[in-house]
Amino acid sequence: MKNALSRSSVRLAIGLVAPLLLILWWQSQASGATATFAPPAAIASALAELLRSGDLVRDTLATLQRAFTGLTIGAPLGVAAGIAMGIWKPVDRLLGPLLHALRQVPMIGWLPLIGLWFGVGEGTELIVVSMSTFFPSMLNSHAGVAQVERRYVEVGGIYCFTTLQRIRFILLPAAMPLVLTGITQALAFAWISTIGSELLTGAGSGLGVAMQTAQVQQRLDVMLVVISVTAVLGFLINQLFRRLRQSLLRWQPAQP
Amino acid sequence: MNLHPHAREDRAHLTAGRGALTVSGLDKSFDIGGKPRKILDSIDLDVRPGEFVSIVGASGCGKSTLLRLIAGLDTDYSGELRLDGDRIATTSLDRGVVFQDHRLFPWMTLEQNVELALLNTDTPKSRRAQIVADHIALVNLKGFEKAYPHQLSGGMAQRAAIARALVTEPKLLLLDEPLGALDALTRVHVQNELQRIWMAQRSTMVMVTHDVEEALYLGDRVIIMSPNPGRIRRIVEVDLPHPRDRRSPLLHRLKDEILAELTGGADDANAADNLIHLPNREARS
Repeated sequence: MKNALSRSSVRLAIGLVAPLLLILWWQSQASGATATFAPPAAIASALAELLRSGDLVRDTLATLQRAFTGLTIGAPLGVAAGIAMGIWKPVDRLLGPLLHALRQVPMIGWLPLIGLWFGVGEGTELIVVSMSTFFPSMLNSHAGVAQVERRYVEVGGIYCFTTLQRIRFILLPAAMPLVLTGITQALAFAWISTIGSELLTGAGSGLGVAMQTAQVQQRLDVMLVVISVTAVLGFLINQLFRRLRQSLLRWQPAQP
Repeated sequence: MNLHPHAREDRAHLTAGRGALTVSGLDKSFDIGGKPRKILDSIDLDVRPGEFVSIVGASGCGKSTLLRLIAGLDTDYSGELRLDGDRIATTSLDRGVVFQDHRLFPWMTLEQNVELALLNTDTPKSRRAQIVADHIALVNLKGFEKAYPHQLSGGMAQRAAIARALVTEPKLLLLDEPLGALDALTRVHVQNELQRIWMAQRSTMVMVTHDVEEALYLGDRVIIMSPNPGRIRRIVEVDLPHPRDRRSPLLHRLKDEILAELTGGADDANAADNLIHLPNREARS
């Protein structure tokens, strides 16, 4: 246990080397704040200001809520659709071509159309985020179910499994690694599309909205604070999910 | 089809519920390149309740296909296939199967794998844990209940697969080269266990194998099959009580006999087929 702890802290330290070097280099280049450049010290004071006013917390919470609401709508639907298409060929033939054509359109490309239909606001953003999480979940879940080995399905046949038992005890667990890969991708897509749609619609609060406001006000330091928060939060969420994935897939032999 | 209903009913009555397998006039063809190709040709075989029958033969003689048909994994056949008088039309909890690859679900522990076999049996839930534990002990895997399949060695995984197949107490256990993927030492070890388990359970067992020695060591009878199309060539009675001694002279004599039958004893037509003709060189000799 102790060994593992020290090893993971060493890994963490190594991972921090590059960002720290970047900040040092940045500071060394800085002479003072201009319209296009802000030294890390200025960013730090902007961060303090934003924390004091409560804007940063409010925007971060708004973005997190939007991203996770979209994820909890889009990802389960995507997983369900992918699994259904993987199990029942007719569903695949019926929905496959439509969905594969639709996913060729970049998510941000839907924004003007959906904005036209639903107006600029919470609903539109949520729809875009849900859609962007739907497709990676669907594609990976479909592939996961489609590649389940026949020999395992045969074992289910020998023990007279019903269709539901086959799905629950064989197809779902066998597809789980790819389903989780899909959800990992969906997570990244949720984050990207939330910030993106906030930037474009600019309504209410959110990290994307804050970015846009900072741009209008020519507050480069604020912009950089928001970008840093976005990067760090996205990274942490991804790490958290990786942990969860590892514990869910502990039946797999250790990857070399 | 129903030519002798009375005869069959009599027989079914005699062997009801005990694992008697009747194969008669069994034909099986596969479609290869649009043409039907006969894989099994009028197979007749009666397996007595509690008997251990081994099937050997060159690859391609249809022995695994025969086992899959008996298991009910493939139901496209003509002829008769009956267990205790009932025609085999699908898989059934009466028939257990052990494959060459253990086919334990990698996402479940050993214990969960074995217990899953009981899912559709009428075994009361309260007794299941005990029955699973008993069968894990039967194959000497006590202490590995919580292990995932990738944590087990090949021999252990195969024994676990045997435990899973036996936990439903099938009347007939089908073994499709169950030890084929094991190394020689582990193989001997699991053969001994298989014999011990069979003597304890006395359910009917049919085992397909490549290994003539294994077939003789375990089998009350050894069925020798020949390919193209798959037929029963000969049936050898192994008249030795269990548990057997591997050094028994009878086993060695029978082994030589069967090996000769499988490798050299082909009839003239088949022997001619086996020669390789190189047209350009024939003139020289």
